[in-house]
Amino acid sequence: MATQFITNHNLEALLNRLRRYAELHGPVRGDDGVVRFAALTPGTLPDLSAIRTLLPPKKYLLYPRETILNYTADAGYQLPVEVTPPLILFGLHPCDLAGIDYLDRIFLGDDPDPLYAARRSALTLIGISCTPDEFCSCHLSPSPLKTLSDLFLSSVEGGFVVSSGSPRGDELLEGVKEILEERDIAVPEDTRRFFGHAVSAQVRPELDATLPEWQELADACLGCGACSLCCPTCSCFDVLEFGGLDGRSAVRVGQWDNCLFKCHAEVAGGMSFRKNRAERFRYRYRHKYRGFGPLQGIPSCVGCGRCRVVCPAGLDLRPLAERLEEVTP
Amino acid sequence: MNSHLPTPAVVSAILPLTADTSLLTLHTEPYHPVASSFLPGQFLQLSLPGIGEIPLSYCGVPSRDGSIELCIRHVGHVTTPLKSAVPGDAVGVRGPFGRGFPLSAYAGQDLLLIAGGLGMAPLRSLLLLLLKQRGMWGDVTVLYGAREAGALLFIDELLELQKRGDIELLLAVDHPGHCLEGPPDCRIALLPALLDQLTVDPDRTCAALCGPPVVYPLLVSGLRRLGLADSRIHLSLERRMKCGVGLCGHCAVGTRFCCVDGPVFSCAELAGIEEALV
Repeated sequence: MATQFITNHNLEALLNRLRRYAELHGPVRGDDGVVRFAALTPGTLPDLSAIRTLLPPKKYLLYPRETILNYTADAGYQLPVEVTPPLILFGLHPCDLAGIDYLDRIFLGDDPDPLYAARRSALTLIGISCTPDEFCSCHLSPSPLKTLSDLFLSSVEGGFVVSSGSPRGDELLEGVKEILEERDIAVPEDTRRFFGHAVSAQVRPELDATLPEWQELADACLGCGACSLCCPTCSCFDVLEFGGLDGRSAVRVGQWDNCLFKCHAEVAGGMSFRKNRAERFRYRYRHKYRGFGPLQGIPSCVGCGRCRVVCPAGLDLRPLAERLEEVTP
Repeated sequence: MNSHLPTPAVVSAILPLTADTSLLTLHTEPYHPVASSFLPGQFLQLSLPGIGEIPLSYCGVPSRDGSIELCIRHVGHVTTPLKSAVPGDAVGVRGPFGRGFPLSAYAGQDLLLIAGGLGMAPLRSLLLLLLKQRGMWGDVTVLYGAREAGALLFIDELLELQKRGDIELLLAVDHPGHCLEGPPDCRIALLPALLDQLTVDPDRTCAALCGPPVVYPLLVSGLRRLGLADSRIHLSLERRMKCGVGLCGHCAVGTRFCCVDGPVFSCAELAGIEEALV
């Protein structure tokens, strides 16, 4: 089958062309050895050998801390005016694409979040195939989440097969066609095949709180919250308000929150609905493997492995999930 | 309407009800859905500029003139400064959010409205709306418990309705407190004890509950003893609801969001869900 092929050698030329369309970001290994999504300025090459970045691409859609409303005595509350220039994210693995699909389902639903919607529409997604390592679990269970991208690069001998997944992708392909070659190549299967599977709506029994594993996890957990910070689909946010010193203005701030923190379920008067850590683990588990609200039945774990890599106590919900969700490895 | 953006409203009155609780009346634009189209049991998000935003149950009935009644206990970071609010103060409101009491299922039924403490707030909303079409429902019985006689909210209003014969009223307080004269026939007992005085037809009775989490298990088991099916018992859950629209992730009960799928749930819906009734 005729495919669009780009040689490894031409990859830098591709990045240079893409920069003509928009600012370009991709996985970059910093001087500290940490791989993170950052600007691919001319001369900076993406680290395509890295299996995962420290933070997932959600940081481009939901900022760790951001103003969500401004208040002045004259104008009342106003949505912030934000300029969202177009941005191309290069080098997204299928799990991260699925993570973006999950966030889209939350924030672009019936009542879209205005800030998220603006940022999302400014993003062009360029995916790339990958080989799972021992921390990945995308290949352990089929997920209904989709791995939609504008362009996708499938790794083959000597380069990549480039395919488009949207009109925006067609436009980009057209713009870079002189560095592509048409070749007859059999494209190998990639990890996208684990995503996009319809799941039957299964009614599962409520979690058994008496399982000893909950307490074992809770006993070892340090409560640092790293697992949800680096999770592509953890999107809990807290809302805080700060009055201006002029007494006539205020800003309302949204910031990433964490269900393993004690304050996550606290209400006025100090009452908490999830007093102990084992309860908080079950809350996290329900979100990761069973889904909340309109996304009930859609597991939010995309198997990227970040939480297992960063946990200072080496904790892992996956073995429990494999048992309780009857996932056959 | 953008559900993320508070609509301006103005404090029009603040009436102290007890030592720590007030009835706050707001005004927003006439015919605004936040004031005109809600079901009792639904909630709104009230913003106090520079301080923050909190979820509050509606305490009054839908209005066309933009007025909103809220019952405020001054205990939190937003409700404490609200104690010194004066008419004319600017606030913001978003809503209505969530699912209220199932009014359509109540047609022709005998109704038990069971409130503990501040739980009277959404049940007053329900009661006032029921009374607007009194003929639609059977007997309406209000069971109300508070920690002491001085903490019974809207007690004059309730006694007046009882006198008019619109409702039956059963009262209980945990201890006599400092009030020398409590309302007539007020028992010194815990709220669930009032259920022992009742005889109901379980096949034509529905119960609407709102109170502190601690009373729910006792009330529910009492209602079951009276023969009520779990699908006939509705209760309003409290959770931390920051956004009100199912985005912020704080308020899940099992795998459902309290802010969208609740805060009113039937007991049948909560069966087996951990932490639903703490």
